[in-house]
Amino acid sequence: MGRTGIKILLLILLVVLPSGVRADDFAQLRREAARITTISADFVQKKTMKILARPLVSEGKFYYAAPSSIRWEYTRPLRSVVVSDRGKTRRYIASGGKMIEDLSGGVQAMKIVLDEVAGWMSGRFDANPSFAASLSEGPDTQITLTPTGQNMAGMIERIEITVSRRDAAIKTVRIVESRTAETRIDFQHVVINKDIHPSVFREVQ
Amino acid sequence: MKKGLVLVCACFVLSCAALPALRPLDRPPVCPAPFLTEKTRLIHAIEAGAAGKTRAVLIGIALADPAARKLSAAVLTPEGVALLEASYGPSGAAVSRALPPFDSGELACRMMEDMALIFFAPAGEPVSRGASAEGETVCRWRAQSKGWVDVLQGQDGRIRIRRYSEGGRLEREIALSGDAQNPYAAIELQASERVDYSLKMTLLEAEEVKSAPQAGREDRGDKP
Repeated sequence: MGRTGIKILLLILLVVLPSGVRADDFAQLRREAARITTISADFVQKKTMKILARPLVSEGKFYYAAPSSIRWEYTRPLRSVVVSDRGKTRRYIASGGKMIEDLSGGVQAMKIVLDEVAGWMSGRFDANPSFAASLSEGPDTQITLTPTGQNMAGMIERIEITVSRRDAAIKTVRIVESRTAETRIDFQHVVINKDIHPSVFREVQ
Repeated sequence: MKKGLVLVCACFVLSCAALPALRPLDRPPVCPAPFLTEKTRLIHAIEAGAAGKTRAVLIGIALADPAARKLSAAVLTPEGVALLEASYGPSGAAVSRALPPFDSGELACRMMEDMALIFFAPAGEPVSRGASAEGETVCRWRAQSKGWVDVLQGQDGRIRIRRYSEGGRLEREIALSGDAQNPYAAIELQASERVDYSLKMTLLEAEEVKSAPQAGREDRGDKP
């Protein structure tokens, strides 16, 4: 087989193999996600751990407005709200029947997470050098993020994100922490491109 | 000079701390027994406070085996991030995962000791029984490591657990506000340390454990 033959074979493999990671896959996702200006959704989170017999279920609401405004609100079993708007992130916790701002260092960790989530919402799955991103096509598009360095060793093994092929909206996020621990978040009742009042990302009551 | 004065005052205060005397009763009281008797999994909402302010709201999961005096625990943020996973047994505490503020190890170990104090009956027989100055019935045990543990019950039935140092300084005060059926429905712990802290725990769920946990069989959310 000559050089031309090998090139043709490689080209065929790239086209035929559905799980091949290609820069244009992510570029395509970014183009499709660029049509999304807002998302609101309910979510159900299931936390699995060795100490639990059954997953611990949390529920809440999620709001996003491009380019990076997010409200991530848990309603049960505990109420907590993280809002991120114009680069400022604040976290609120329920205490004594009212929401108070969390002034501990935890908010900085949440800012890192929300910045990452905002990136996903705009289709930038391969932008963080801390993760190697791979993509596979099936009924939905699945992106797998694997930590590249040791700084997440023992904390996150991989993150699997399922994206709807219909509208590029994220359907599920599965964070695998270890063989026995994972967090799965399913988004439901997803509404795309419907106006969300800016106060949603700033005010918590 | 000022520092020296503070040090002298601190020593004076510490030297004055003494184990509260128990007034003998005509008939020794029945000791309050709110403690777990079966292997139980408990999930609490925890408000952690310091200096009179709520500092964090967390989810605490404890799997306590009173027969073996073994305890596994996890502390999660409301978002589900595990800040602490640790176990406690007769040989002490072992931490398998600790993120700030538990990464120093000391706080994690203290937390596990607090859980053991809340859920496990003091070992052995009480060394004395009587009544406190406030009229509560009190049973006093020698703590397993060092110091003393008092379990008190007021006229209203409410139970408190106190741990004192060897010299009689109050280190922990735990108030159980639940009823006799469910004493762990509401727990308030006050710790007197170099940095005082408090835990206000509200029960979300409790279940007796008959067999080893198996992950991911059905969802917890539908059950009260």
